[in-house]
Amino acid sequence: MNAVLLIVIPLLAAFISIVSKKIAPYLLLVVGLFNIVLLFFLENGLVFIGGFDVAMNSDLLGISLLLDTYARMALWLINGLILVIFCLNFKSYKAFSSILLLAMAGLNGLLLTNDLFNFFVFLEISGIAAYLITSANKKPVSTFRYLVIGAIGSSLFLFGVVVLYAMYGTLNMIVMIQAIQASGNYAEVILPFTLMFIGLGVEAKLLPFNAWVKGVLGHSNTLTGPMIAGVYAAAMSFVLGRFITNLFVFEGSLLIVVTVLLALGILAGDVMAFSSTKTREILLFSSIAQASIVALLFVNGVIIWAVYLIIANALSKTVMFLVINKATKDVGSDESEALRGLFVNNKLVGLTFTLVTLSVMGLPLLAGFVIKLNFLTQLAGIGQIVLIAIILVASVIEGIYFVRLIVKLWYPGESEISVKYNYSFKAVFIVIALALLVFGTYSTPLTKLDNTIDTVMEVVNNG
Amino acid sequence: MIQYASIILFVIGIYGLFVSKNVIKMIVSLNIMEIGLNIFIISIGFVGGGAIAPIISSTQDLGLIFVDPLPQALVLTAIVIGVGTTALALAFAKTIYKTYNTFELDEMEESA
Repeated sequence: MNAVLLIVIPLLAAFISIVSKKIAPYLLLVVGLFNIVLLFFLENGLVFIGGFDVAMNSDLLGISLLLDTYARMALWLINGLILVIFCLNFKSYKAFSSILLLAMAGLNGLLLTNDLFNFFVFLEISGIAAYLITSANKKPVSTFRYLVIGAIGSSLFLFGVVVLYAMYGTLNMIVMIQAIQASGNYAEVILPFTLMFIGLGVEAKLLPFNAWVKGVLGHSNTLTGPMIAGVYAAAMSFVLGRFITNLFVFEGSLLIVVTVLLALGILAGDVMAFSSTKTREILLFSSIAQASIVALLFVNGVIIWAVYLIIANALSKTVMFLVINKATKDVGSDESEALRGLFVNNKLVGLTFTLVTLSVMGLPLLAGFVIKLNFLTQLAGIGQIVLIAIILVASVIEGIYFVRLIVKLWYPGESEISVKYNYSFKAVFIVIALALLVFGTYSTPLTKLDNTIDTVMEVVNNG
Repeated sequence: MIQYASIILFVIGIYGLFVSKNVIKMIVSLNIMEIGLNIFIISIGFVGGGAIAPIISSTQDLGLIFVDPLPQALVLTAIVIGVGTTALALAFAKTIYKTYNTFELDEMEESA
C-alpha cells in the first residue's frame, strides 16, 4: 500500500459513480472512510511511480509523491471535512457525489505531489471540481467568473513551472530546490516564483487575486460554503505553505512586496467584513483576512502554528457557514437584520456558533487564543513588530464585527424567525466547538509538534 | 522568436478576458491564452542543430540530437485540460444564456 491510493481510489470511484449514479453517494462515504483509515497505515516517505532514467539521474522524470506529517495532517483534515460536509448534505446534494470524489482526488493529489507538473494537473482537477460544486449556488455568472479567474491563475502557475523547467531541467520539487540552492542566483527565479505565487494566490483567496470570492461565497449554500471556505481554503493554504516554505525564495524587494500585499489583505479583509451588513459577506471577508495571516506566517517561517491556524479556521468556517447558510435558506435573506434573533429558539446552535466565533477572534480558553498567542510570540521572536501590530489591529476590527454579529443573532427583533437545524448538524457543531474548547484549555498536545513536520528541506539536505 | 510570439498571444488572451464583456468572447480569449501558453511550452523543448523527433527506432540512435520530449508530454496534458475547461465554460455559457437570454455580462444582473 502506498500514498498513490489516496488519489487513485477516489478517481476510480468518481468514474464508477458516473456509470452507476445510484451507488455514487455510498461510494463517496466508503472512499472517504477508506482514505482516513489508510492514512493510519501509510508510512512517511517518497513514492516514485513510473518515470525513466535520464543520463543516469534516476527518478528525475516521473510521478513523485511525498507523504510527511504536514501532508498527513492536511489529508486527514480535507478527507474528514469532505465526508462530514457530504453527510450533512446527503439528501439535498446527492447528485454532487461524483464531483466531490473528483475534488477529493484532486485535493489529495495537490497535497501529496512532489512534482510541479502533476501539481498543475491536480490544480486543474480540483479547480474543475470546485467550479462544478459552486454551480450548486445557481448563480452561473459568478461561477463563470470563478472559472475564468481560476483558469488565468492556473495558466500563470503553469507558465512559471515551464520557465523553471527551462532553467533547471527538472520538475521534481526536491531536485529543483537542490538546483536552485546550488546555483545561488535567486534573482533569476523571481519571475517564475511571482507567476506561481499569483496562480496559487487566486485559489488561496489572497488579495488582489480574490475577485471571485464575493460572487461564489456571497451566494453559497450548506454545500458550497463549507466546501469552498473550509475544505478548499484549507487545502490551498497547505499547498501555499509548502511552496512558500520550501521552494519560493522571497528576498529583498520581492519579500517586501509580498509582505505588504499580505498585510493589506489582512486589513482589507477585516475592514470589508466590518463594513458589510450581509452575514455571508462578513464570513467570506473574514476568510480572506485569515488566509493572508496564514500566508504571512509561512513567509516568516512560523510553520506549525500556521498549520494549526489553517485547521482551526477550516473547522470554524465550516460551522459558521453551515449555521448561516441554513438560516439564509430558511429565512430567505442573509442580511444580519433579517437573521436577528436566530439563536433565540436555537440556543445550542447559538452556543456552538458563539464559541467557534470567539475562537476565530482569539479569545482565551479557546484554541484560537492558544494559536494566536503562540504565533504572535514567534513573530516577536524574529522581530516582526510591525506585523504583530497589523494583526492586532485587524483582531480588534474582527472582534467588533463578530461581537456585533453575535449580539444581533442572539437578541430578537420585531419578528420571530424559525430555522430548524437537524441533529446531524447539531452533532457536528458540538464536536467542533468542544474540540476548540479542549485544545484551548489543554494545549500540551499542540506543543508536541514543531516546524519539522514539513520534511521537504530535510529530504533536500539529506537525500 | 517563437517564444515572443507565444507570449504576445498569451497577453492578447488575458487582454481579451479583461476587456470583453461577452461570455463567448471571453471563452475565445481563454483559448487564445492557452494556445499561447502551449506554444511557449513546446518552444522550450526545441533543440537547434537538426534535432529529430524523440521516437525510438530500430536503427542506432546514439549520437543523434533529439528535441526534449518532456514539454511535448506536458503540452498534450495541458491541451486536454484546456479542452475540459473550455467545455465546462461553454456549459456555463449555455446556462447563462438560458437564465438571462443574453451573453452580454453588462445586460444581466445577479441579485442576491
